[in-house]
Amino acid sequence: MSAGLNAQRLSWLALGLVLAGALFVGSRGDGSPPTDEERAYTIASAVRCPTCRSQSAADSDAPAAQAVVDEVLRRVQAGETEGQIRAFLVSRYGPDILLDPPKRGVSGLVWALPVAAVAAAAAGLAVAFRRWRPPRRPAPVSAEDRALVEEALRGERP
Amino acid sequence: MSAVAGTAAVALGLAAAVLGMATLALGLKRGDPRLLKGGQRYVWIVLAGAVLAAAAMQLALLTHDFSLNYVARNGSRSTPLLYTITGMWSALEGSILLWALVLAGYLALMARHFRDRATDPIVAWATLVGLAVAAFFFILMAGPANPFKLVSGPVPTDGPGPNPLLQNHPLVAFHPPMLYLGYVGFTIPFAFALAALVTGRLGEGWLVETRRWTLFAWGFLTAGVILGAWWSYEVLGWGGYWAWDPVENASLLPWLTATAYLHSVMVQERRAMLRVWNLSLLVATFSLTILGTFLTRSGVLDSVHAFSESAVGPMILGFFAVIVAVSIALIGWRGDRLRSPGAIDSPVSREGAFLANNLGFAAFTFVVLLGTVFPLIAEALNGERLSVGEPYFNRMTAPIGLTLLFLMAVAPALPWRKASTEVLHRRLAIPAWIATAVVAGLVAAGVRGLGALLAFGLGTFAAATAARHLALSVRHARRTGRGRLRALTGRTNGGMVVHIGVVVVAAAFAASSSFSEGREYRLAPGQSASLSGHTVTYLDTSTVQEANKTVTRARVRIDGGPVYTPALNQFPFATQAIGTPSVKTGLFEDVYLTLVAPPAPGSDTAVIGVRVQPLIVWLWIGGGIMALGTALAAWPAGRRSRRGAPPAGAPSEQTVDEPAVPVAT
Repeated sequence: MSAGLNAQRLSWLALGLVLAGALFVGSRGDGSPPTDEERAYTIASAVRCPTCRSQSAADSDAPAAQAVVDEVLRRVQAGETEGQIRAFLVSRYGPDILLDPPKRGVSGLVWALPVAAVAAAAAGLAVAFRRWRPPRRPAPVSAEDRALVEEALRGERP
Repeated sequence: MSAVAGTAAVALGLAAAVLGMATLALGLKRGDPRLLKGGQRYVWIVLAGAVLAAAAMQLALLTHDFSLNYVARNGSRSTPLLYTITGMWSALEGSILLWALVLAGYLALMARHFRDRATDPIVAWATLVGLAVAAFFFILMAGPANPFKLVSGPVPTDGPGPNPLLQNHPLVAFHPPMLYLGYVGFTIPFAFALAALVTGRLGEGWLVETRRWTLFAWGFLTAGVILGAWWSYEVLGWGGYWAWDPVENASLLPWLTATAYLHSVMVQERRAMLRVWNLSLLVATFSLTILGTFLTRSGVLDSVHAFSESAVGPMILGFFAVIVAVSIALIGWRGDRLRSPGAIDSPVSREGAFLANNLGFAAFTFVVLLGTVFPLIAEALNGERLSVGEPYFNRMTAPIGLTLLFLMAVAPALPWRKASTEVLHRRLAIPAWIATAVVAGLVAAGVRGLGALLAFGLGTFAAATAARHLALSVRHARRTGRGRLRALTGRTNGGMVVHIGVVVVAAAFAASSSFSEGREYRLAPGQSASLSGHTVTYLDTSTVQEANKTVTRARVRIDGGPVYTPALNQFPFATQAIGTPSVKTGLFEDVYLTLVAPPAPGSDTAVIGVRVQPLIVWLWIGGGIMALGTALAAWPAGRRSRRGAPPAGAPSEQTVDEPAVPVAT
């Protein structure tokens, strides 16, 4: 039995190692650094198309969106960082150009609230499971219980 | 003519709903069975009113009766027949009419299903709640969203036709009705939930009776959401199918809570626990359909789909507030009866997994709801205008989605109450190894990206668990001589088929959002460009005048093979041209072409958008599998009485969780 258990453990350990190795290699990217176009696309897909509501500039073919994409590409080629480009877009179009709101200030709530809620709910579940766990020892039998049993037994016997 | 008939029909429906409510209320107060039976019959008059109103609207649309404001704004003589018919749900007032029609249909089905139990107070209360919801929608039609309002001033001789986006693809005939069959269907379980609270019969009886209604509504909503994604992909022309747009989120929210309910309801059936939670999920599902209607129809969040600003918003918001307030009050009032004595022995058990599943779906719902309304909240708090879009939703929901995939893989293998390591090993080892092999194989084949690999791995794990269950079920059925179809029907087996569909959709979602490539090329006739191993050759552009639009069509050859024709459609009365993409669909990847800009005068170069996206077609196939699984799950599993449901308190349908045969592994 214990030999079987050990074999089981070993097989899961092997599985974990293979999986971790594969994911490690798989998460390392394909080596080549992103091209300017790819970087511009990444930045533009986190920015709203100025004339639509929820479409990103990268996905929209509205003329205003094209202008944003061109501007982003120009600045990427000029060597600006993502932060600089986003700051520029905010200064030109206002903060609602960003599709992922900044993590500071009021808009930080939209990031923090779900995390806090999930943490609270998970903690609540953990507490509930602890409370539900069946007691190790049976509860002591009270005199009242004994009396009830006595009475029931008396009823049984003629 | 149509206006008079339609207005009369709306009045008839409203009067019947109110009279039915009054009769049922009186009958419940006096305990008079004749009044209860009579009250239920008003449902049929409500249905008649809704059908007549819809018929009057169709007549007005088909005869181009421009004396009706609605037809004058959404009809035109040049619109093809199909889009004239679908014009009924192309704008706010007509959509409310469709909602009322579907609701009346559901109420009639409910009255028919429970006709032998009309005198049962729980049925009477449920009918009363259903009629109250119907009355609300008829009031909307009688007041601020009147589809039969007459035009002020002279009657126009022609109209602009429906919104160009809504007359560009036949899917508009299927997507909205499917979605409404889903949304509105949740009214029935909600009505029974309130009825159970009011009557105090909070056992598991009402759950058993409304389970299948929820399942049907869920199936329609699933199909509606997937069709919406498909429609978005085929019509909107930006290459995507899901943009976390408020309208899309509004359809996802009730789907999430309903999915949570379909799982947690099993804990209540088995262990008589989670009563308050399940009631809350049903209430949340129904109220989220109303909230979604408010968000999308009031113009409060403008989006590509929202039709117009209107006075309807405050009324729908008020109705939403009433639903939530009444439900919370009722749950609070019945708090003592709702307390359940049960306990969950171990988190590593089926019920423990369902709780984790519900935590995941609740978190998902919270993220989507918060992200959707947050711009409003922020603006109200300090006047700050900001957007919450795709990057936010993707980053927040990806970990939840992966967790849910993991639970989907593990939960079906967990026994109720408590799992031993022995059982876990026996049931999970092979699926886990298959998943690991798939991940390792993909990495070896050059696939990169942690998120996508996790999605593929966990998806394979979940699909393997589901397949294992189905294989055991088939083997069990063969041994016991039951039909092979029986092995796939019933809630658990159908549910496993749905799981496989979900995995297919999730894998397609992960692949297409991680590995898409898109670019625009300015091409002269005969010139080619290549992207991700595909060569596109631009041939020429031609312009054709059609009945309701001017179409500019480019001809583009893909990989030296067939010619595809992305187009731009200019509708009269529309400022911007609407693109029609042309898609070369394949099992492994789609090549998606759009005509971004036709040749300018004096030039012959056109701008062609090219996107290569993997596995897109599997989104629709996965959706189909989910719909099939829902049908299998709703299929009667055993010898159940054909008419009516088992009496309240009867044990629920027995499901084959794990066939009682030795499992050789």
